[in-house]
Amino acid sequence: MKRYILGRLTVVPILLIGIVTVAFCVSRLIPSDPLASIVGERQMNNEEIVNAAKQRWGLDKSVPRQYVLYLENLVRGDLGTSFRTKQSVVADLGERIPATLELAVAAMLFGGLGGVVLGAVSASKKNKPADHISRIFSLVGSSLPVFWTGLALLFLLYARLGWFPGPGRLPPRTRPPDHVTGLYTVDALLAGNPKLALQTLHRLLLPAFVLGWAIMGSVSRLVRASMLDELHADYVRTARAKGLRNATVMRVHVLRNAMLPVLTILGFAFASLLTGAVLTETIFEWNGVGSYAVAATRSLDYPAINGVCLFGGLVFLLANLVTDLLYALADPKIRLS
Amino acid sequence: MGSSTGRASGRGLVAALATVALIAASCGSDDDSSGGTTVVGDSSNTTAGVDSTPASAGGTDVRELVVARDMDVNSLDPARAYCDTCQIYLTAVYETLITVDPSDLSQQIPRLATSWEANDDNTVFTFALADATFADGSPVEAKDVKWSWERLSNVKASASYLMDGYSSIETPDEKTVVVTFEAPNSAFLPIVSAPYMGVSNSDEAIAQASALADETAETDDSAEPFFLENSLGSGPYQLESYTEGDALVLVRNDNYWNGTPQFPMVTIKQVKDSASQLQQLQAGDVDIAMQISLDSLSQIEGDPNLNVSTTDSYNFVYIAVSPGAQGPGGAELQDPMVREAIKLAVDYTGILDVTVAGNGKLQASPIPNGFDGSADLALPAQDLDKATALMAEAGLTDGFTLDAMYPKVNVYGVDFDVMMQKVQQDLKKINIEVNLQPVEFPQWIDAINAEGIPLTAVYFAPDHTDSSQYPGYFGMIDGSPWSVRAGGGAAGAPIVNEKEAPLLSKALASSGAAKTAAYTELGQEMINDLIFFPLVNPQLVLASQADVTGNLYSGCCNLDLSFVGIG
Repeated sequence: MKRYILGRLTVVPILLIGIVTVAFCVSRLIPSDPLASIVGERQMNNEEIVNAAKQRWGLDKSVPRQYVLYLENLVRGDLGTSFRTKQSVVADLGERIPATLELAVAAMLFGGLGGVVLGAVSASKKNKPADHISRIFSLVGSSLPVFWTGLALLFLLYARLGWFPGPGRLPPRTRPPDHVTGLYTVDALLAGNPKLALQTLHRLLLPAFVLGWAIMGSVSRLVRASMLDELHADYVRTARAKGLRNATVMRVHVLRNAMLPVLTILGFAFASLLTGAVLTETIFEWNGVGSYAVAATRSLDYPAINGVCLFGGLVFLLANLVTDLLYALADPKIRLS
Repeated sequence: MGSSTGRASGRGLVAALATVALIAASCGSDDDSSGGTTVVGDSSNTTAGVDSTPASAGGTDVRELVVARDMDVNSLDPARAYCDTCQIYLTAVYETLITVDPSDLSQQIPRLATSWEANDDNTVFTFALADATFADGSPVEAKDVKWSWERLSNVKASASYLMDGYSSIETPDEKTVVVTFEAPNSAFLPIVSAPYMGVSNSDEAIAQASALADETAETDDSAEPFFLENSLGSGPYQLESYTEGDALVLVRNDNYWNGTPQFPMVTIKQVKDSASQLQQLQAGDVDIAMQISLDSLSQIEGDPNLNVSTTDSYNFVYIAVSPGAQGPGGAELQDPMVREAIKLAVDYTGILDVTVAGNGKLQASPIPNGFDGSADLALPAQDLDKATALMAEAGLTDGFTLDAMYPKVNVYGVDFDVMMQKVQQDLKKINIEVNLQPVEFPQWIDAINAEGIPLTAVYFAPDHTDSSQYPGYFGMIDGSPWSVRAGGGAAGAPIVNEKEAPLLSKALASSGAAKTAAYTELGQEMINDLIFFPLVNPQLVLASQADVTGNLYSGCCNLDLSFVGIG
């Protein structure tokens, strides 16, 4: 197992260099000038200001030279300074990753756990009303566009009914808890402020539900299909013949075996949530990686674009690795081979 | 047997839902820290009815002010900041020597300066400073003004052009500043009232941020990160924190030299779109919403909990043609009759209706309504018969195809897609087939500077309150951005109207009625160029909680927080 993990980890840096190289080249191929975002449209014809900006941001150097400098800095852990925020990209991502992580974890609880529960309900109540209801619920969640669901729920539950708070991670006129993890719910608890923890959790519910509902459908359908396959397997018949309670059969035998393909989906779903929650973050004013990526792309902020690509690549590589490891843990046949 | 698993799963689901409901119920309304979002009061407030004197706490502490805004901050360094939100921030934190009276664009009122004067030919400007102090209690001195303005000029950032043409800044004593220009510059006093001309505490900027103001600032100044976390001004508020994409938080300057600022804290909260700003204003989560779209006005007008009004702005949206552009239509545009036909084919009032529901004004020239030189010019009007005749006279009865690349944006409530579709319909009536190409802003900039764009749409908001910025940008004057763009960008040759540069020099050397006359003449020349067709001078929606006072639009500063209070 150790050799397997080491072997997988060895290729990670090579893949990451490939990712940043592609990101670097693609962003330079776009027929636009990032200086427009740096100096503003009105000063683009002011040669003195444009030259000063080029020099300041290293854009006066040749593209190959910029690439070499970027790699040299990358080795030192420096992802450069964002043209847009004027802060280091490492600091920018450090501020935003916890926000996205908090949202993604909560969305996984809704979507992942919810999907497993609904799938299990559907499988065990096949073709009964509970099956139909859970399938329709899942289908609706995965069919509706996230931006529409988010806007509709905000309008209904916040603006009209007032049951949920509005967009943003914190209530109005409230300062963030002292930074420890960057996850406000956790930091509020660590700061001994359970009221704030509840408030931040309350604010997390709606965006997490919107995001989670979208992945719930695929998870529940997969769980349902896998469980129905397993229900007809010989070992299940044997377990029942031996007099095991149905709940035990379902939980210990059927669900465990049915979870194998679901693990793959969950791993990639989590990676997608970390890197692709753009619309949800925008609608709910969640200052995470997704909204940062969009802003960086729109202003052709090279360092930020490369930083986000690097982060996304790392997340997917790690998700892939963790999924493989979980797979091996869950299935002795894979572990032994 | 299967049913027992189903019950177990069902119980789990019910438990999860119950937990969610419990959290929702236990949290209830989570803005109880606001201490006063329930608002009552008069909804008929108008700009004219609002007192424009600075708000003062008068010994009573009020709640934190929350302003919803889609922020566009490019920097918080006073020498590098250049954006609409920067204007609000700089005005609150870094005071200028003089500022603009919110109720009268042409009037400057004192801030750090007690008096100011220009010599007869507008080349020497003298300011006497008040006994003001920075937030750390140290006095504001002439050397701070000199250092701040020289740094603004020498960092060669976006707002550096405001100091163009000065030859020296003298400080004969601690309270006197004398600025000398190489050529007459009647624009300087309005420029001094621009937020970008704010004064920093030079001793602390050098000591804490190693900030540079001399010629080396262009290459060696690295103080920007410091200014993203700290402020060194004398204004009523100080920077508490800034998180890009989230919030800009200001705290009261407890050492403020000119009274007690009203709010203990001011948060400018990032709220991307108009609909969300509207919802949060109605829910009481924010006190002021700055970018409510004009088509949402009907949803909040008459709400007794809100103060809602509209006011004229100095922003405008225009279309422009480039006779030297390489793309389809560029060659035909070289004929002034074709350009005039385009001007006459546009349904200006129809565009006002479809873009801002009629809540705006027509504008004659690139000098916006309310600025010197805008009053006596004829407004554009549609005349399809004349436009058709001009097309025939130009030998283009069958029309031609015109490429129209424009930035895909929604500014000042004007959706460019909607506006350009209307322009497309209008020009179709004289057989011009407009090929719409919405693009991202950097792509648009690249295209227009490289080879020009036959027909485009852009917007403009003033940096300061002097009309000189308009011929300086829109004029067919050697070196102006639009002289190059109209001529086809770097690939073409600039278009120059020989009358405009002398007229601008004349305006900069004049004062009073002579200055107004020069700018009026310049405005007419820019109309005659047939390059720009201003379409919408939109109004702005001023929306706040009913007890908020002083929510005024300022021509220099957007929103001057020192005027905002709780009534």
